[in-house]
Amino acid sequence: MTLFEAIILTIITASTPLLIAAIGELVVERAGVLNLGVEGMMIIGAAAGIAAAITTGSSTLGVLVAVLAGMALSLVFAALVLGLAANQVAAGLALAILGLGLSGVIGAPFVGVQRAGIGKIEVPLLSDIPFIGSVLFHQDPFVYASIALVVAVWWFLTKSRAGLVLRAVGENHAAAHALGYPVRRIRLLAILFGGGCAGLAGAYMSLVLTPFWSSGMTAGRGWIALAIVVFASWLPFRAMVGAYLFGALTILQLHAQSAGVPLPSQFLAALPYLITILVLVLIMRARRGGAAGPASLGVPFVPDR
Amino acid sequence: MRLVMEKRTETPISLMLISPLIAVALTMISAAIMFALLGKDPGAALYTYFLDPLSDSWGLQEVAVKATPLVLIAVGLAACYRAKVWNIGAEGQFLFGAMAGGYVAIITHGSTQGPWLLPVMLLVGAMAGACFALIPALLRTRFGANEILTSLMLVYVAELLLDYLVRGPWRDPAGFNMPNSVVFEPEATLPLLMAGGRLNIGTPIMIAVVLGFMLLMGRTLKGFEIRLVGEAPRAARFAGFSEARLIITVFMISGALAGLAGVLEAAGTIKQLQPGLSPGYGFTAIIVAFLGRLNPIGCLFAGIFIAITFIGGENAQIMLRLPLDATRVLQGLLLFFVLACDSLLLYRFRLIRGAAA
Amino acid sequence: MNITRRHLMAGSAGLAGAALAGQQAEAQSRLNVGVVLIGPVGDFGWSHMHDQGRRRMAEVLGDRVNATTVESVAPPDFDRVVTQLVRTGHRLIFTTSFSYFAPTQRLAPQHPGVFFENATGPTTLPNMAIYNARFYEGRYIQGVIAARKSRSKTIGYVATFPVPEVISAINTVMRGAWSVDPSMKVRVVWVNAWSNPAREADAARALIDQGCDVLCSHTDGPAPLQLAEQRGIFGFGQASDMTRFAPRAHLTSSVNNWGDYYADRAKAVLDGTWRATDTWGGLGSGMFRMAPFTNMTPEEVSEATRIRDAIAAGTLHPFEGPITRQDGTVVIPAGRRLTDDEIRAQNYFYQGIDVAMP
Repeated sequence: MTLFEAIILTIITASTPLLIAAIGELVVERAGVLNLGVEGMMIIGAAAGIAAAITTGSSTLGVLVAVLAGMALSLVFAALVLGLAANQVAAGLALAILGLGLSGVIGAPFVGVQRAGIGKIEVPLLSDIPFIGSVLFHQDPFVYASIALVVAVWWFLTKSRAGLVLRAVGENHAAAHALGYPVRRIRLLAILFGGGCAGLAGAYMSLVLTPFWSSGMTAGRGWIALAIVVFASWLPFRAMVGAYLFGALTILQLHAQSAGVPLPSQFLAALPYLITILVLVLIMRARRGGAAGPASLGVPFVPDR
Repeated sequence: MRLVMEKRTETPISLMLISPLIAVALTMISAAIMFALLGKDPGAALYTYFLDPLSDSWGLQEVAVKATPLVLIAVGLAACYRAKVWNIGAEGQFLFGAMAGGYVAIITHGSTQGPWLLPVMLLVGAMAGACFALIPALLRTRFGANEILTSLMLVYVAELLLDYLVRGPWRDPAGFNMPNSVVFEPEATLPLLMAGGRLNIGTPIMIAVVLGFMLLMGRTLKGFEIRLVGEAPRAARFAGFSEARLIITVFMISGALAGLAGVLEAAGTIKQLQPGLSPGYGFTAIIVAFLGRLNPIGCLFAGIFIAITFIGGENAQIMLRLPLDATRVLQGLLLFFVLACDSLLLYRFRLIRGAAA
Repeated sequence: MNITRRHLMAGSAGLAGAALAGQQAEAQSRLNVGVVLIGPVGDFGWSHMHDQGRRRMAEVLGDRVNATTVESVAPPDFDRVVTQLVRTGHRLIFTTSFSYFAPTQRLAPQHPGVFFENATGPTTLPNMAIYNARFYEGRYIQGVIAARKSRSKTIGYVATFPVPEVISAINTVMRGAWSVDPSMKVRVVWVNAWSNPAREADAARALIDQGCDVLCSHTDGPAPLQLAEQRGIFGFGQASDMTRFAPRAHLTSSVNNWGDYYADRAKAVLDGTWRATDTWGGLGSGMFRMAPFTNMTPEEVSEATRIRDAIAAGTLHPFEGPITRQDGTVVIPAGRRLTDDEIRAQNYFYQGIDVAMP
């Protein structure tokens, strides 16, 4: 395996949790809801996932519980912002804190417990092709799931009628409501999807990347996922670019240190953030005028009849 | 039959006062349930959390010390959020202000200092915070780059910069090569206001800022402009208010306040620069701003209340063996209930018979 | 007679001790002990291990102590937490981070009846002791084993921050490695966090991809070791016995044992014999030990055991001269040894380590 191939593989694993969480949040924001609680849903997925996996011995069950945990927390968020039309920024932050606290309580009995990580799937024959084989056909199931999610979300938003309705709800919820679409139900489904994705991303971290529980192990990746949605101008394939860009920069700076590049490690560590800003600015310049988010993003919806 | 929400045309004062009280009551009830589930006496736990921090002069001073940076930052953020400018990077502006103000203390360390030192430090800190906030502001006005992303990314940059500086150029030469700056000389630290506690001049400054902002937001043209741009951007444009200039203004105001809070913390409570200077004040302040309903006096009360829950959480760990996560859950519940109850202010709930229109 | 500072300090400590002993002559029923942690208890790392120490102390002393932990205390909140511990009757307080050293130094004189212990701090006060474990001794052993096991002759080090503790650890690993094979090399990645498992794993991947086949880690979590297991190379655990995380990759771990020290110190307070000591316990003291050697040949095991025993007995000293910096300047010549203070402040790499000083 060449160094290049090894780096690509590492980038894929580093970017996948970001991508899964980001694609979920992208759907939520396209429906017009800003959910800042992604970090809380991610970490509660991580805690619940490994707790279930260790207790039952089944990784599949662990993943399922993680997704459900993320959804459950997002249901609380939905109750606040849809049921009670609360301010979305504050509600999201509330859920972030709640999720962080609950994750600590759930994970506490499992600190230091060892578990085998979920292994990679090997596509027979195809995975033996040099380079492409290992990159494309020898990955863990989450990587394939993340790609599938991106494609599915793209198809849903651009090619399906339901996706069109969801986008309409995000752009102008009053008009959508006037046309008779169930705005709150659509948003509820979107929020649950986003919560499930965040939980799935959390499960990836605690069941595959580093198969053990440690307090706060998501270390802010939920916030990065939020940034990626913005970076992607709310477009699914761009989210993939954003996640992989950020993952690549993070991995490359580690490699640079290992190779002995004589720059301060803090500067190298700051590069992913600085370059993300730079690339966003370049994108905005190239598009001249830029794209704002869905017009109704963050505005509470109260049906007037 | 369905439950319908109707926007209220006006909100009775009685509801405005009762709603937060209901929220607090609901929080206490669910907290009591949680404590009971964790095997602790709910009454003792509630006392430890909410009343013990207020039980003596030292406790009250500590509440003030903890609340000061939160309220300062929150007031600035409230102005931003009123204008729908989403400054998420207050944490980075806080650190940048601490670094700049701290630098003044570091370069004058050991040489002549005087009563001019502290005001200069505070001014430099505030200005540095404002300049750091200028970056996402300009990126938004010039390139349309979303400020949520840019201000958030810059938080990490500020943290790494602080780390680099205290490990390298600003490291205390007599500090065994540990990543701290020199401990600030007494003239570079905030004077205490009374014995028996840590209350310092940061708190009166914070109160002055709150009062100043009440005037600004309520009675000046600028305050009106801020609110108008947020609530009715097209009307604001017709009125001749420049959105770009306003974005820069509110970013710089909130950056200045965050930077001021940063240098006050560095010079007041910690008295040196080190990594881990901030336990997330910039992010907690976002919550305080919303709990305070984006107005200055609300931020004051919300900041005090949140400070009490943090201190109560420490006390609960010490006296009741409750884990820190219990405090986080409690804070999350508090926010949840306040938000839920606030809906009562803005909307009226009615049951309507018959099918949907 | 020359009255040196040491005499004065000893004298005043003695006076203080006598005064306190008088106070303690009244029945010392139960001692309230506070442990202030910089991180969460569940980090399975530095703070977790100190909490484990608290548990062990409670185990050893039973009803005689009442131990409390406060977790994730940030520097601005530190003063308040300590003051509250003092107000609620805690007489022995462990502050478990060098970030707490300056504030502990500031608070200790304000509470002369309370005993403070700061982990990894550099100097003492009459009522503030310092303590640490000579983890570098374990690093030396790791270096020796790594040199035996490595085929690529490159050690990978997942480092945290460029503080002297980490730098001297890297230096000592290489010292041990060079004692077996002077051509050994090291690569270092700074994760800039004390606990961020996913990033530690990524750092480990980068090191392995660039040719390292033995991993050392300064973070106290198992992530790099898990990577080593995954990739089929070798690694060392840190802070706790990590054999179960990597049955095939694990060679040994440096296992922290704060608990017995904590129990001793609590007992000293109870008996009235507490003094402000500077304890830097090595293998000989029991403050840390090496986990059983695994995945090694009998010869490798006996060599490692021999070296470990030599270090514990004091016949082998990892910081003996000659020591030369990267730029060639000699720090100490052969026949001399670095003092504890010099080790604590070491912020240069040895000649032969091709890592830029960050």
